[in-house]
Amino acid sequence: MKKQYLLIFIFAGLLAIFNSCQKSAEYKALIVTGQNNHNWKASSPILKQLLEQTGLFTAEIVKTPEKKGDMSTFNPDFSKYNVVVIDYNGDSWSDKTKAAFVEYVNNGGGVVIYHGSNNAFPEWKEFNLMTGLGGWGNRSAKDGPYIYFKKDSMIIDTTAGRGGSHAKRHEFEVKMRNTGHPITKGLPARWRHGNDELYSQLRGPGKNMEILATAFADTAGGGTGRSEPMLMTITYGKGRIFHTVLGHADEGGGPAMECVGFIATFQRGAEWAASGKVTQKVPYDFPNAAGVSLRTGFIELSLEYDLSKISQYDITKSTKYFTDLQSRIRNEAKTPEEFQKFEKLMIKVLGNKDATDEGKKLLLGELSWMGSDLCIPVIKELAKKEQLKDAAEFALARLQPAK
Amino acid sequence: MFDKSNRRDFLKRSAAVATGALILPQIIPSTALGMGGKLPPSDRIVMGAIGTGSQGTSNLKGFLGRVKELQFVAVCDVDTSHSAKAKGLIDEVNKNNDCRTYGDYREFLEKEKLDAVSIALPDHWHGIIYSSAANKKLDIYGEKPLARTINDSKAIVSAVKANNIIWQTGSWQRSQEHFRRGAELAINGRVGKIIRVEVGLPDGGKGIGTPPVLEAPAELNWEIWLGPAPKVPYRGVSHWNWRWILDYSGGQLTDWSGHHIDIAQWGIGMERSGPIEISGEGVYPRDGIYNAPVEYDFTCKYANGIEMRVANASRLRFGMGATWYGEKGWIHVDRGNVLKASDPKILEEVIGECEIHLYKSDNHIGNFLESIKSRGETVAPVEIAHRSISVGLLGEIAMTTGQKIQWDPVKQEMIGNLIASRLLSRPYRQPWSLPTI
Repeated sequence: MKKQYLLIFIFAGLLAIFNSCQKSAEYKALIVTGQNNHNWKASSPILKQLLEQTGLFTAEIVKTPEKKGDMSTFNPDFSKYNVVVIDYNGDSWSDKTKAAFVEYVNNGGGVVIYHGSNNAFPEWKEFNLMTGLGGWGNRSAKDGPYIYFKKDSMIIDTTAGRGGSHAKRHEFEVKMRNTGHPITKGLPARWRHGNDELYSQLRGPGKNMEILATAFADTAGGGTGRSEPMLMTITYGKGRIFHTVLGHADEGGGPAMECVGFIATFQRGAEWAASGKVTQKVPYDFPNAAGVSLRTGFIELSLEYDLSKISQYDITKSTKYFTDLQSRIRNEAKTPEEFQKFEKLMIKVLGNKDATDEGKKLLLGELSWMGSDLCIPVIKELAKKEQLKDAAEFALARLQPAK
Repeated sequence: MFDKSNRRDFLKRSAAVATGALILPQIIPSTALGMGGKLPPSDRIVMGAIGTGSQGTSNLKGFLGRVKELQFVAVCDVDTSHSAKAKGLIDEVNKNNDCRTYGDYREFLEKEKLDAVSIALPDHWHGIIYSSAANKKLDIYGEKPLARTINDSKAIVSAVKANNIIWQTGSWQRSQEHFRRGAELAINGRVGKIIRVEVGLPDGGKGIGTPPVLEAPAELNWEIWLGPAPKVPYRGVSHWNWRWILDYSGGQLTDWSGHHIDIAQWGIGMERSGPIEISGEGVYPRDGIYNAPVEYDFTCKYANGIEMRVANASRLRFGMGATWYGEKGWIHVDRGNVLKASDPKILEEVIGECEIHLYKSDNHIGNFLESIKSRGETVAPVEIAHRSISVGLLGEIAMTTGQKIQWDPVKQEMIGNLIASRLLSRPYRQPWSLPTI
């Protein structure tokens, strides 16, 4: 059982790599890290993997010297890249490097500000214009207003107080505030995010900034009672900045990073920052208001993997492999031939003695509308089984209606 | 005077034009027909209720508030705790202990001699029980949405028509002044020709995963609760929350089709027709037994060129409600007495004598009772309920298949789409079937 799982794991991994090799990467990304009060050693390699999984990016990680190190040695050539991902919260960069970064953005370079990176550089004005909002680092009213939503209105609140806070980590719902932006277009208007810090009370200049998504920080859980910004876009000079406060890293990523909501918005945000457009499809495992969706091990699921899991399907564990299959069918099958491609795979599972009855019932329900004559014989066989009789008769009644 | 069933037959015959066989005066005093308000109990409309959960009880209370015009004598529910509570409410009003309770609608319909019945059940039971009650010639106040599938819905329309009964759908928004007014301003061109309509219905909520199998409560007949739906073990989900499971309901989309879609079609004169092309997409829970879409967004094209977008509220400018966009502005209606327009002056407009005046009802239950007496059509007749839910169900089919579907609203058939046609029905589990008329 364990071995089988491992094989599937490896197979899915290879498939992911194969997929990413199909397109030639269009953009170059640089991930800047090396100091952080967050676990950058865990997060940066994952961010690299996520960028490369899109097939759109080649990504490199550059590390600054360690804390109190000689920062003059850190001067990457930002201009070689289409997007710079900041996973950094540490010592100030050299003036020369700061100037190079400002020039890069001014000239149209893309930036992604990730989670704790908005804590960085409280004293660097230009950086704060790029992040729009930041937290901690003694940020206060001098750094700009609080910006958040109350019901459907954006509030710019200049009252005094600390910049940056979060309640205890928890699962929460993210609400899109603009579903027409390239980054959010086609995504659910509401989705549940994996256990994460809900950044609150951020303050900053907020200039040329659009809040794409917020999350309500419930006072019941120690929150602010405000809908706090989660995803933002900012323009600076000719540059585009995508700012996500999501994704607090545990060792190996953890639920905040494994959340497909974090993954997909990060990937889409990076493409938008690099190019001004988003060509990525919405992944089938994107979460919605019904519940969190985690991509364990950051492995993109495949049809074969879904079907193998449906064979072992146990309703008490998960229905997600079946719902992913449904999503694939409704998105990918348009012609009779495309439907039959799925049907043939489903017939194999129906004919598999070892596949569970629960899994077969789900497939019978789906075949009842999208099946062809191909599936009739195996369904007639299953109709003889007590456990599957009802589901098989349901399918046959639709596939072969009485005249 | 007459016994109950004879009186009902008499009402029907006299309304349909008195026949020579009836030796009765042509002009009948209203008091004799139960319109005077001061009637002996024996002349009141005799009613029963099938389904006395949350909505059924709410409807029952509405009826019991008009005790001068009607009398409840029996209730039926698969949950004995529901029927006991309903009996309590009825007996309290009737000041006796006579209300009879049933657990099986077949026995209820067989034994009770009623004029009318109030029915509020999970959608997957509508087809069979609405049709069966119609076949018993009972006038029906039935909850929206009319049915779980378009084929069930058509069967109900046929049964109601064939039996010539009075039908009122629980689409009570039609009996609210501001909804009617909004639709009337739209249909009379007060914002110019209507170009498009937006309908916002509730977002879906958080799932519950897959709860463990439990023993069904002793008061609940789980086998009959399931009825024609697939046999599944009890997992603690039955009352109210059935609406998040596709075997019983289409979720918020179909639950609310009988409200804002109903109003939207009223305002474009399509309440007895339907769209010709439907396409869109849904967002479905990934995991767990709740599987109805939590978000949905589809567009219907009508033969007159109007486009109607139906989506969960989070996706729309106005959120919940119906919004008619015309060449010269917009009109928006929602619950909570919301009636807004792009120019407030539009709302002052008077509808002229020769313009379209929509059916006016200011009390939904009262309107049903009046129609029982007059034998005239209600404000929410079965055909309109059918056309309202058809939009939600066509949207569901477009989202399920991922296809743009073509629909013939006259023949009520899919055009050139076998796959979509199959989704017009959900086959019943043996031994259940739709009754023949």
